[in-house]
Amino acid sequence: MSTVTAARKAPQSPLEATSRRSRWLVVLLLALALLWTLVPLLWMLLSSFKNRTDVTAATPQILFAPTLDNYRNLFSGPNNLGPYIWHSVLAAGISALLAVCLGALAGYGLARTQMRGKRHLAFWIISTRMAPIAAVVVPLFLIFRGLGLIDSIPGLVLAYLTFNLPFAIWLMSAFFAEVPASLEESALVAGCTRWQAFWTVVLPLTKSGLVTTFILCLVFAWNDYAFAVVFSGPNSQTLPIAASQLVTQTGVDWGQLTAIGTIVVVPMMLAGLAVRRWLVTGLTLGAVTGE
Amino acid sequence: MATVIYDEATRVYPGSDRPAVDALDLDIKDGEFLVLVGPSGCGKSTSLRMLAGLERVDGGSISIGDRDVTHLAPRDRDIAMVFQNYALYPHMSVADNMGFALRVMKAPKEERDRRVREAARLLDLEDYLDRKPKELSGGQRQRVAMGRAIVREPKVFLMDEPLSNLDAKLRVQTRTQVAALQRRLGVTTVYVTHDQVEAMTMGDRVAVLKDGVLQQVDTPLRLYQHPANVFVAGFIGSPAMNLAEYRVEGEEAVLGQMRVRLSRETLKAIEDEGGDRVVLGFRPEAVGVVGDDDDQPAFPVTVTVVEELGSDAFLYGQHADTKDPALAGQTVIARVDPNAPPPKGATVRLRILPGKERLFSAVTGLRLPAAESSG
Repeated sequence: MSTVTAARKAPQSPLEATSRRSRWLVVLLLALALLWTLVPLLWMLLSSFKNRTDVTAATPQILFAPTLDNYRNLFSGPNNLGPYIWHSVLAAGISALLAVCLGALAGYGLARTQMRGKRHLAFWIISTRMAPIAAVVVPLFLIFRGLGLIDSIPGLVLAYLTFNLPFAIWLMSAFFAEVPASLEESALVAGCTRWQAFWTVVLPLTKSGLVTTFILCLVFAWNDYAFAVVFSGPNSQTLPIAASQLVTQTGVDWGQLTAIGTIVVVPMMLAGLAVRRWLVTGLTLGAVTGE
Repeated sequence: MATVIYDEATRVYPGSDRPAVDALDLDIKDGEFLVLVGPSGCGKSTSLRMLAGLERVDGGSISIGDRDVTHLAPRDRDIAMVFQNYALYPHMSVADNMGFALRVMKAPKEERDRRVREAARLLDLEDYLDRKPKELSGGQRQRVAMGRAIVREPKVFLMDEPLSNLDAKLRVQTRTQVAALQRRLGVTTVYVTHDQVEAMTMGDRVAVLKDGVLQQVDTPLRLYQHPANVFVAGFIGSPAMNLAEYRVEGEEAVLGQMRVRLSRETLKAIEDEGGDRVVLGFRPEAVGVVGDDDDQPAFPVTVTVVEELGSDAFLYGQHADTKDPALAGQTVIARVDPNAPPPKGATVRLRILPGKERLFSAVTGLRLPAAESSG
């Protein structure tokens, strides 16, 4: 015990000093990154509680009398925000759910099939995710018009699947590839059908993958503006559309705009926080086999 | 419990023109412990996976009992398999792992619990039933994998190198435990290993494979004493059999100053092949040291290494007779008296004990008809 204390009090070796200094550097950099990320969000949150004069004051106001007017205005009147939120929840939620279900099945197939050109197929699938939305919008619009999917939630769900599904397939197939094939083979020998083996053994082991995929797909769809602005109408407009409507020719209502921004950001942040345990293991992969 | 029959069972992987398993014929008796052994890539694991239904059978058939299972799904074969990495389900407790097959079969819960407890008692796992696999040591995991197979009460046990992830000492211990357990349960077992010591110590019979082709299947002792070809002779036994090709002169094979008399049958077989050479093998223990004053025919060997194991000592040396090109650079392994091993660098004179040589065709590698004095 005494030697340990002595060692601690002993003058630092150069190596220790360096490691301590580099640790401080890391902390400093992280703090800067945190500021960089959080300040705009914080500013948005503060502004959403400001009245019209405070929000546009030339000297930014840190201390002010908070008001709920912006939120109250958003939820009152004929064009209140309720339906927009509902549309967003439906479109993003259903599309993320579908993406995870289909992505898990397709990803499993992709991970387990032995076939020629498998890697090319996998790359082709993820490459569709890389196409800019602008390239997809026009053909998709024509197809949707033909199918009567313009201004409908199913239309938006489908549109979001165009970018969420390839991503979900690709991510889930990476998770399934991490699960040793012998686990399923063992289940098959034990009496399972392929589906039972998938359901009882493989799927529970990729829980973090499912959660990660769902959250990311949800965020992508939730934040979408480009598809919503083209395909949605009065019956299906989402939150980002509502936000854009506040930018008018007569001016920008910054108070309400930041209030909508807050309403868009907060649920996703809460969702992320709630599942961060899985999100972290999910994003780092490798931790799924329990070995 | 059941017999297992491979009838010309063949597996060709897509994109390969050489079969991974080539017309395998095996007849495994009820309750037998059969070991498939061979170097990596010999097709032993593929053979086992074909029996499990995890690998397609491209030709021939496989049956368990009187049932042709060639194209049945794994679940319909009534087998249990122990995998090399144990394949325990990480999200389930030990008890759930062991009872998994029964749960899938929808066996009543009481019966499931009873059978799991029985197996746990048998394998000394009772205290660990509530743990997750990752909370167990390697040896315990291995036992859970065994337990999972036992609980199933299958017709056949399939084991794919189940001991290869254990450390050396535990492996030797577990080896005897597994063999004893199998004898006790009396369940037909097919066991795959690359370790010939494991094969020899565990199997009732051992099947040696090479390049997808069955070389020989026999009891460990007969494999050791009467290998069917050069490959089996070299693969079975540790240290390996001394094997080399020698010139035949008259009725004798020429090993430098020593000559080994060949029987009429052997000579005729060599003649029929149109050759004048023979592959001669002798085990390290089939060698005697000849004293300097002894004028018995022998070949001199320069000692390079002596492995002293306590109960045994093995001499590794090079032929000292450099005049005969057939001998140059050849290593000879011999078992010598562990109490008086020759020093490194010394030259000793060795002879093959009469009748202990094994003769193989220099053309086909197959065993030649035995010498008259063969023992």
